[in-house]
Amino acid sequence: MNPLDPLKRTFQFLKSFSSTMDTAHRNRAVGLTECEVRELENMFVLLLMGSFTGVPAPPSFISAELLPYLEHEIKVVNRRSESASDALSELSGCFDIT
Amino acid sequence: MTTLIIIIGAVVYAALYMIYGRKMESEVVKADNAIQTPAHRLYDGVDYVPTRTSVLFGHHFASVAGAAPIVGPVVAMAWGWVPALAWVWFGNIFIGAVHDYLAVMASVRYDGKSIQFVASDLINKRTGYLFYILVFFLLVLVVAAFAAVLGGMFMSNPGIPAAAAYLLIAAVIQGFLMYKTKLPFAVSTAIGIAMLVLVIYLAGVFPLEASRNFWFLAMFFYIIIAAALPVQVLLQPRDYLNAWLLYVGLILGGLGAIFAFQGFTAPAFTSFSPIISAGQPTPFWPVIPLIIACGSLSGFHALVASGTTSKQISSEKAGLAIGYGVMLVEGFLSTIVVIAVAGWGVQVMTGAGQTITTAGWSTQYTPAMSGSFPNAAMFSETWAAMIGDTWLNFIPETFLRIVAGMWVSSFALTTLDSTNRLARYTLAEIFLPLKSKSESLYRFFSNRWVASVIPAAIGVYLGWSGSFGLLWPSFGAANQLIAAIALLTGTAWVSKRLKTKATYAFIPAMALWVTVTAAMVWYLAVVIPVTWAANPATGGTVGFITVAMLIMNIIFIIDFFKTKNQPLADTEIGAE
Repeated sequence: MNPLDPLKRTFQFLKSFSSTMDTAHRNRAVGLTECEVRELENMFVLLLMGSFTGVPAPPSFISAELLPYLEHEIKVVNRRSESASDALSELSGCFDIT
Repeated sequence: MTTLIIIIGAVVYAALYMIYGRKMESEVVKADNAIQTPAHRLYDGVDYVPTRTSVLFGHHFASVAGAAPIVGPVVAMAWGWVPALAWVWFGNIFIGAVHDYLAVMASVRYDGKSIQFVASDLINKRTGYLFYILVFFLLVLVVAAFAAVLGGMFMSNPGIPAAAAYLLIAAVIQGFLMYKTKLPFAVSTAIGIAMLVLVIYLAGVFPLEASRNFWFLAMFFYIIIAAALPVQVLLQPRDYLNAWLLYVGLILGGLGAIFAFQGFTAPAFTSFSPIISAGQPTPFWPVIPLIIACGSLSGFHALVASGTTSKQISSEKAGLAIGYGVMLVEGFLSTIVVIAVAGWGVQVMTGAGQTITTAGWSTQYTPAMSGSFPNAAMFSETWAAMIGDTWLNFIPETFLRIVAGMWVSSFALTTLDSTNRLARYTLAEIFLPLKSKSESLYRFFSNRWVASVIPAAIGVYLGWSGSFGLLWPSFGAANQLIAAIALLTGTAWVSKRLKTKATYAFIPAMALWVTVTAAMVWYLAVVIPVTWAANPATGGTVGFITVAMLIMNIIFIIDFFKTKNQPLADTEIGAE
């Protein structure tokens, strides 16, 4: 066995540890921004399809033109509407307290 | 001694993770990788996304580790290092980690729904609603306790408020670099870390001094303004920089504890009832969970675990590392804090002009930390002294103190503005029943500015007028009550849905419930009357919150036992 092997292995471990931690930090940072984006998306959908909930809507042809781009958002919003009254934990996951 | 304890700690944690944790996984939860997690089953690329376990581990740890696991053990050192360490380890392994693990796994089996949802389904709808009120109280008390911590720190070392203020500026620049200039993440991270070093240097050279009143007023306005800003302007970049600070602090602290080879100067055990809370003799049982909350167990973790984490777990077996493992690492952080104070407490306090001896520890320790030498300063000073006693002594102690102070203060500041974001939501939910009776009143209370000012004003006022010794246990009580309810929910989930060994959850849940209830009764009987006599407004407010929490606590346990043997409706969610 090469006497430098343990050193190499330790170095590899430290390298992978720091890269994982770096990714974890980025992941969390991105997650926080996603929370904000989610809120903005919700508002965007409300603006476009607000007539369902009584919010004044833009001219219908604009909504119709944009609708195909919203397929994914509509699916997500649909699911979120099921848990709309259960957002405390999700908010707690975004904004750490203690 | 320091080296020995850190090694024993690491061995104990690793061994019990392998033995107790794995037993929970195989015999209680029966985690099975063949069952798809919500991250895969409900994948949408937005909320439900499978994430690598090691990355989610770091992410979850950064979410749950803040200033509380540091401050709590510092205060608990009044009992001596053995009781403090015993509660961190025991509570961590047998209660806190079990609590977190069950919360995350129950949520995973419930399609990533929250712990309140699970409680509503398994126990009672009322339990879910009362959760909001309890969380609101927790948030007000968090603001109060952390404002008191920050106020004390800012007065004790002017370098710390300077670091906090400069870090705010650095965070805004970091946010600008990331989102406006579209610099690559690696480059903006490197610039952010360089700014972090610069902040530490500048805080040492240009400290900020102001009166106590000024700092509290500044905190009040900070809470409201910071919570109104989009997250990418301040909160997110600062949170990102904080995470680096956390790891630097943990790694330096771990190295310090291993290589300092220092004996303990703090006594192993002082007395069953040393002076701790509001100048009163404070019994170890039942008050200890009110003093060491997050380093041992924390109800807030159940919310985080069932909020975003459970939607990202890639396999059921990864739940053990995330739920159980992360809690143990947080306990390890508290272990480092105990070691730092036990090893360097006398030296540091004597150096700061306080009268403290090993023999007089039980009566001198807590009073020495009021006034010019607060508990958070105790941590930053001992942590710096610990590292200064190793081969890392080439780092000037002034800067080490600022790093530790910045570590605690930046986490506490993040807590303050996060609290307000959550409080706005909880207030809107609490006042929802009012909507059908008085729409205008509901709109008033759920208005974002009104909902921001209410918790900030009550919390900062309590922090300003009340002592830390009064506020910290009340924050602990609210936190541990949520933990007790989450554990009872976990018990109900194990016994009703899984039909496996519920004793693993039931015994810690009941032990915690009884202890916290007894502690709250003690708090109402001993601490509140003293505070009431000195300051009726503060004593009355905290007393009212404590009585309300005690009543809710009793409602929870009645609901739990009333529904314990009731059969469940075979709902689609949660059905195995």
